[in-house]
Amino acid sequence: MSKKIVAWIDQRFPLSAFVKHELTDYPTPRNLSYWWGFGFLAGFVLVIQLVTGVFLAMHYKADSNLAFDSIQHIMREVNYGWLIRYLHSTGASAFFIVIYTHMARTLYYGSYRRPRELLWWTGQLLLLLMMATAFMGYLLPWGQMSYWGATVITNLFSATPGFGEDIVVWLRGGFAVDDPTLTRFFSMHYLFPFIISGAVIIHLVALHTVRSSNPSGLNLADKDNIPFHPYYTTKDLFGLGIFLLGYFAIVFFKPDLFIDPANNVPANPMQTPADIVPEWYFLPFYAILRSVPDLAGGVVAMLVSVLIFAAMPYLDRSRITGGARYRPIYRTLFYVFVIDIFVLGYVGAHPPANLMKLTGQIATSIYFLTFLLLPFVSRWEESRLLQSGKLPADVVGMARKEIEESHA
Amino acid sequence: MLKTVYWISTLCLTLFAGTAHASADLPSIQRGAHIATEVCNGCHSLKYIKYKDLLSIGLTKDEVNTLRGEKNLGDPLKAQMAVNDALAMFNVAPPDLSLMAEAREGGPHYIVELLTGFAPGADGQTTNRVFPGIKMPDIFGIAQADPAARKEIEQKAKDVAAFLEWTADPQADARKRMGAGVLIYVAVLTVLFYLLKKKIWRRLK
Repeated sequence: MSKKIVAWIDQRFPLSAFVKHELTDYPTPRNLSYWWGFGFLAGFVLVIQLVTGVFLAMHYKADSNLAFDSIQHIMREVNYGWLIRYLHSTGASAFFIVIYTHMARTLYYGSYRRPRELLWWTGQLLLLLMMATAFMGYLLPWGQMSYWGATVITNLFSATPGFGEDIVVWLRGGFAVDDPTLTRFFSMHYLFPFIISGAVIIHLVALHTVRSSNPSGLNLADKDNIPFHPYYTTKDLFGLGIFLLGYFAIVFFKPDLFIDPANNVPANPMQTPADIVPEWYFLPFYAILRSVPDLAGGVVAMLVSVLIFAAMPYLDRSRITGGARYRPIYRTLFYVFVIDIFVLGYVGAHPPANLMKLTGQIATSIYFLTFLLLPFVSRWEESRLLQSGKLPADVVGMARKEIEESHA
Repeated sequence: MLKTVYWISTLCLTLFAGTAHASADLPSIQRGAHIATEVCNGCHSLKYIKYKDLLSIGLTKDEVNTLRGEKNLGDPLKAQMAVNDALAMFNVAPPDLSLMAEAREGGPHYIVELLTGFAPGADGQTTNRVFPGIKMPDIFGIAQADPAARKEIEQKAKDVAAFLEWTADPQADARKRMGAGVLIYVAVLTVLFYLLKKKIWRRLK
């Protein structure tokens, strides 16, 4: 019976061919570590956010007089409303943890290298969409931090030359963050996830064209590939189990971990909180913004700090594959960069007093220096490594081939 | 493998034990409910709490009936003082207390420190070391209390904080109970996923 149904569908829609091509026959390197499971996790969290978000929207009121109360209505009167809301609010942070890990893996193993530039850039686009979605979602509870965070961030657009003030008014729908801001943010917060879903499909099409990178950096011959299903489906399921243990531990036992106390106070345009702090996932970029004395300069620095990742395929000029695996200097740069991001995050969470301000400025300089030095360091390390004779023969072979091609 | 199962189940049992402990301070919450409704509620509202909600922390129907007076069981705990009167008297509207235990850095601990933080000031007026310039009077009179009375007031402050912790997060107990079950379920599922993965990948060797 089921075979008949599938046959009926296959005559009209390439269902079996699709499953075969993308899943049961899709070739995947057999040496992928658990670091390669974070893309799947990101997709999973996206589904959690979409589903819980749809249910929250059934009970939420996008009205500046009702929004705060409607959250408490969800928490107290809606059946399992607290669960839906905590899954969603914790899900936002989980999403960024997963995506930042996914990006760190790409940077460590050099997965952005040729021919995966478009894969990397579609990922970058997804990150930007996600940041915008998270930022707009944070306004919806209409707490003090929601309100003042949105005020500070929309105000950044006033740095636009010529018509900065007009843009701020246009974004807010008024001279200050108010009801029109809330309703448009709600609308966009509901729309963006569908754009994200579309971009995810583009990301996956790009992935299935160039296929997964792998920890060795080598192009593995067909014999080293295994079908995605059942090997990586089962491996990803185990990774999902581990992820869910951490996620549910927070949802059920420490759900306020990522919620600022000030956001349990209703938005009050008359009273600025002592300290306006964005959500943790924006802290490093916020620290960069504040490290530049001039507003326009700070905004540019913050934009560049996010967008510069797109340039990685060109900034990293080494032809040695495998990213940090065979390249000790690149590896050192990677770890310095990761530590630097944590330092920036710490600085972003604190008022920019003397020492904190200086630390922020140094960390910001290190952030950009890593990118600026990379083109020179990567070439220099490449020639040193190729002469050293310590690299595996096939890595040297691939590097030499690529160098010859670039001369031709 | 067995070790992993052992550690995960130990973790879950620990969480379970922590959960069972959570409602142990129910008498404190109940005492706090009386103080909050009889004293704090004079000026502060508890608008996200309804009189009938108090039944769920073990107050008897008679106790709740006495507290609510003419009001309905389904009515929220509004402040007895009108906001305009409060504004005239204190120059500021007393904040709603429902979420107070989550709305300040330090949570319930902050509430205890604030309520017991009053001390005689230089000009004969009381000051508060946690919130200088606070408009709220030293309602328990701790600034003038002798050591014995002080101890009693500290307990009262703790009871109020325990009650406000409940008003801010009334689902905490249900949430933790469900969480323990969910974690045990996911832990078992994860072990099964691991065994499945092992079994499938064995085909490659």
